[in-house]
Amino acid sequence: MIRLENVTKIYGADTVAVRDASFDIPKSQFVFLVGPSGSGKSTLLRLINRQEQPERGDVWVAGRNINELSASRVPFLRRSMGNVFQDYKLLLNKTVFENVAFALEVIGKPRHAIARQVPIVLELVGLADKQDRFPDQLSGGEQQRVSIARAFVNRPLIMLADEPTGNLDPTTGEGIMGLLDEINQTGTTVVMATHDHRVVNTMRRRVIQLDRGVIVRDQERGVYE
Amino acid sequence: MFSRIGYALRETWESFRRNLTLTAAAVLTSAVSLLLVGSTFLVQRAFENLLVQWRGDVEMIVFVRSDASAEQIALIDSVLRASPTIIDVEKLRYLNKTESYEEAKRIFAGDPVTLGLLTPETIPTQFKVVPLSDDPILVRSLSDQYRTLPGVEAVALAEDEFEVISTLSNFIRVVTLVTSLVLLLVAVGLIWNTIRTAMFARRREIEVMKLVGATNWFIRVPFMLEGLLQGLIGGVISCGGLWVLNSAWTSGVTSFKPGTGISSLVVPDSYLTSVMLLLLAIGALVGAVGSAIAATRFLDV
Repeated sequence: MIRLENVTKIYGADTVAVRDASFDIPKSQFVFLVGPSGSGKSTLLRLINRQEQPERGDVWVAGRNINELSASRVPFLRRSMGNVFQDYKLLLNKTVFENVAFALEVIGKPRHAIARQVPIVLELVGLADKQDRFPDQLSGGEQQRVSIARAFVNRPLIMLADEPTGNLDPTTGEGIMGLLDEINQTGTTVVMATHDHRVVNTMRRRVIQLDRGVIVRDQERGVYE
Repeated sequence: MFSRIGYALRETWESFRRNLTLTAAAVLTSAVSLLLVGSTFLVQRAFENLLVQWRGDVEMIVFVRSDASAEQIALIDSVLRASPTIIDVEKLRYLNKTESYEEAKRIFAGDPVTLGLLTPETIPTQFKVVPLSDDPILVRSLSDQYRTLPGVEAVALAEDEFEVISTLSNFIRVVTLVTSLVLLLVAVGLIWNTIRTAMFARRREIEVMKLVGATNWFIRVPFMLEGLLQGLIGGVISCGGLWVLNSAWTSGVTSFKPGTGISSLVVPDSYLTSVMLLLLAIGALVGAVGSAIAATRFLDV
């Protein structure tokens, strides 16, 4: 589903964010990207959804070399991916329902499809009864559930999560992990960048560890260390 | 498809309301500059009425009595053609009664009294003369000679009548055109800035839109519509201003004594309408250009 071949990403003149990274993530896998801040986890995610392009190497998503994609095709690549962030990136002037609907609205889904799909996904993340609240009326965990709902409502092939539990207390974080696990069970490939030891150690999934932009470990059913 | 159009319109309207002050500044600037553009066209046209008989380097007009015989006209023609070193015989033109009357209708557009005195039967016909020589004394002595020919009613020289006006009109044209171009550029800049501000205010939304896979055009269109609308509203305001201006001008000019020539400065309504349409088009274009630049430039948030 996702394959990196000797990818190097350099910011500015000589800040190497990722050096010669290669890995292959099959469909439906759950992968943790771990490592300290600045080790290149976020950059890897940004390379996969083509917010960045590598200086060297190729990134393949669903059988396509996405660096050869023309700029006008990038939106369609992104429609096959959901993105979740540490800071949720919700729109504060929109309700829960509208935030999720927005993702469908802007890719031109007809209104009746939106009216059908949004309640289903809100049910899935357990926020069916809060669909008319605004983000600032929700707890952090609930806000992250909204953002997961928004990322998943279009049934993407891939889910990219950048420190989704970073702002949450451990119990709430567990809830979020349970949700991502559930989404993974539906066949969605999940790539999650984190430095949350407990989460990684509890889940026991594939772990790719980075240190200063270099992949130093790639292990099935790994722990954080 | 309909949901997309609805989305674009809603977003445009929302953003319009949010940035009311900036929007007002952009709209007013484009209105003022467009008004100036429109005035340029009107002034130009008014002077053109005055100068219509002198178009194409015509320096001398030989008016022929309306009751002149065909032989007399032929004689005048041959005399004119007899000095090919001074007169450009290629450009020598004879206007018969119908043509002369058509021209008079323009000259006396704002002076129905004088026009009423003329009919296609009684109007003098005319030879339009383009001299080759730059020497005014030579041209003048020639005109004195033509005056004595049988059938000639009068000989008019451009030098005597409209030299000043034509110079003045050229000067006014250049000044207003340059000023309005500068103002139009300012309008583009202001619209650009308004759109940029609108995009900055919504950078979070734009970021989310890009992440969930909205196309660049989808993101851009509401902003471009907003700019286009600003230019268009400016155009509408300038049209109103131009109409007021032209009405005042027309009533001022027509109150002049008939026959002074000033009254020919009236601009016909059909021309005013086409200038207004042009202003609307320029306004929309200015808005679209300003916002398109901004929308393309600042989409990378």
